[in-house]
Amino acid sequence: MVAIRFPHARLGGKALAAALVASALLFGGAFAQDPAPVTGGTLTVAITADPPGWDPTASTSQEIPRVVYNNVFEGLVKFDRTGAIVPGLAESYDISADGLTWTFNLRQGVKFHDGSAFSAADVVAKFERARNPESGHTHPEYYAAIEGIAAPDDHTVVFTLSKPSRGLLYNLARPDSIIYPAAKADTQRSQPIGTGPFKFASYTEGSEVVLERNADYYVAGVPYLDKAVFKIIGDPNTRFAALQAGDIDLTGVTSEQYLVLGGNPELKGTEGTMTTEITVAMNNTRAPFDDVRVRQAITMAIDKQAIVQGAFFGLGTVIGSHMSPSEPYYIDLSGTYPYDPQRAKELLAEAGYADGFTIHFELPEPYNIERRSGEVVAQMLREVGINVELSVVEWGTWIQRIFLGGDYDMTIIGHSEPRDINVYANPDYYYHYDNPHIGELLSEADAAGSTEAETAAYQEIAKIIANDAVNVWLFSPPVLMAAKQNVYGFWTDQPTPAIDVTEVFKTN
Amino acid sequence: MLAFAVRRFFTALVSVWLASLVVFSAIVAIPGDPAEIILGLNSSPEARAALRTKLGLDVPAPQRYVAWLGGVLRGDFGESLNYQQPVAKLIGGRLKVSVPLSLGAAILATLLAIPLGILAAVRRGTFVDPLVVALSQLGAAIPGFWLGLLFILYFAVELRLFPAGGFTPFATDPAKWFRSLVLPMLALGLGQAAVMVRMTRAAMLEVLDQDFVRTARAKGLGQRSVVLKHALRNAMVTIITILGLSLTNVFIGSIVIEQVFALPGMGRLAITAIGTRDFPLLQGEILVYAATIVFLGFLVDLSYGLLDPRIRYS
Repeated sequence: MVAIRFPHARLGGKALAAALVASALLFGGAFAQDPAPVTGGTLTVAITADPPGWDPTASTSQEIPRVVYNNVFEGLVKFDRTGAIVPGLAESYDISADGLTWTFNLRQGVKFHDGSAFSAADVVAKFERARNPESGHTHPEYYAAIEGIAAPDDHTVVFTLSKPSRGLLYNLARPDSIIYPAAKADTQRSQPIGTGPFKFASYTEGSEVVLERNADYYVAGVPYLDKAVFKIIGDPNTRFAALQAGDIDLTGVTSEQYLVLGGNPELKGTEGTMTTEITVAMNNTRAPFDDVRVRQAITMAIDKQAIVQGAFFGLGTVIGSHMSPSEPYYIDLSGTYPYDPQRAKELLAEAGYADGFTIHFELPEPYNIERRSGEVVAQMLREVGINVELSVVEWGTWIQRIFLGGDYDMTIIGHSEPRDINVYANPDYYYHYDNPHIGELLSEADAAGSTEAETAAYQEIAKIIANDAVNVWLFSPPVLMAAKQNVYGFWTDQPTPAIDVTEVFKTN
Repeated sequence: MLAFAVRRFFTALVSVWLASLVVFSAIVAIPGDPAEIILGLNSSPEARAALRTKLGLDVPAPQRYVAWLGGVLRGDFGESLNYQQPVAKLIGGRLKVSVPLSLGAAILATLLAIPLGILAAVRRGTFVDPLVVALSQLGAAIPGFWLGLLFILYFAVELRLFPAGGFTPFATDPAKWFRSLVLPMLALGLGQAAVMVRMTRAAMLEVLDQDFVRTARAKGLGQRSVVLKHALRNAMVTIITILGLSLTNVFIGSIVIEQVFALPGMGRLAITAIGTRDFPLLQGEILVYAATIVFLGFLVDLSYGLLDPRIRYS
């Protein structure tokens, strides 16, 4: 899936090294010093857009889980703030030795927000619908390994798998896998009914959505807040102004807003990770990109660190393959083809392009980080003799012609979906990279007997695509949050798109 | 007069219809599929096909347009693909923001611009005229969104007199409703006022130079009477034309201002509709925009006859 996330505002001006050091000192280790939680109060958070309804099983828009994931809806298992998979509506689960029988022991006495009791029947109905491609459920392929679903009693569900699948557990933690009352599958869009710590109270389209504390929540002590209000504010400057004016308590911010936070004693900021890789994608079947030496040369012509420093104030992690530091299988491969413009020129000469060539580099109109990085990349490529023609394309066109049609030379985009290294197994994906070995390694990872074996297989894939220089992976941008000083317990990382407010509280 | 009004009304209807046709063709022509936007880029072709059928997108475009037009004639504007709510209800909710905002800004601009424009014209040759002209030039040069940001920084962030953005419905709290509209109205109205000042001044100067004004002065009328009864009345045709145009400008300008102040108005709804290729919603929006603009033009045309008996419709 392509990046749909907090839009980032203009990034301009000079790198402020001193401010960076200051901000690192100011914001370091906030979590450890949190005071004792306070119960009650209202939290007001900014979100960026109206989602297309509130049902994460009907649309893949990330604006939906951002509000409802873990707040209103829960799955059998869920991601915690570190990205670890923890029990949700399943108290525990057993996977048989052959990996083919998964038994979920459901929590008892859980009630949906409409007062009805949660039971195994809801789980069965949910996953029957989820794996049926005709039902309109998002991503039926996530559940492809499930062959049979049974409920031996009201609080046990058994999945029978056609093959062992490590990926299934991950997929069960995704927003797509949330559980709603079996009878209300069709009304979740407008009236979300879940089991989470907050009930969906009201939605004024274009304006705000209000969640209210679920007094019957099965975890004692949480949530702390009485109410969480998500205000829809599209413009990043307005979001920041609303925070400064005291209208809201918490919001995502841009890098330059983050840098000026230190000057305001009422506010604090956090820097965390997310699963986005800013990727310069190349059409691997189109000349000159069909020559691996050209792709290597392009990688070596780009000074990634300079982009992060110069254009993003040093906020971001340089990467060398299709994975961000927030992935459990992350390894630093940024040294595979280090910045070396001289070597890049030699490689181009070896490939028969001593005099360079002309390429068309297309930047997606709605995404500022990509546009800004792309302009710098183009300049760096020109320095090794590649004639880059830059243009900006409208988002709909980008999706149709470039992403789905695969008709382009070079483009740049942030791939934000977690665990999306699997796309390299698909020769029809817009990179047009064809390597059957990737598919084999993916199957190996899915069938692996241990986490170590799974991790090893993913890392092998990461190394292969890095060596083949399929694309240039520039950096992983950070998640920058800003809050009033009295707000604690919010997620600072985004292992999945979510503003989980279960453990958020406000002092005084 | 009546025949003119009726003829003008039908021309207006045709204009609105043409606008809807152009917008429909445009949205069909630009790439992007609502089903894909709803289900995501990695969704399966089967799932997308199923959703397209459900949304009625498998029907050929001309047929869809005819069905939509038929619905509109019966008063049914269809259902938004993205929100899955009736378009009429969505737009109705947004007009509660955009109408007070635009009207407020236009009234503000008029109250400010017409007296200042007259003042500048009458005080030609003193320091007042160049001062007003300079201020209006400055006002016209500053983009509304930037002015909006400055207002937010000063009045919301520094002084905390007004919210930095967002909207409180009138029914919830009239005082908060008013406060949520003050800064956007100012940001929208001041730029408009700047343009109107210059035009009012120019119209007045032209009239003040004419013979009948000299005659009026010669027969001993006071300055007040000359300016208000003779000159202004004659400059009014120009001023009303400007006012009509400025209402349109303000209505269109509110699209940007709504974005800056996070107001859930028509403009933001239109932007969302374009982004999600939500054609029933966009069509409905364009219809309202086109109808408003055409209707304002119609009112301006009619007002000419009332203001200037020399203008006759035939």
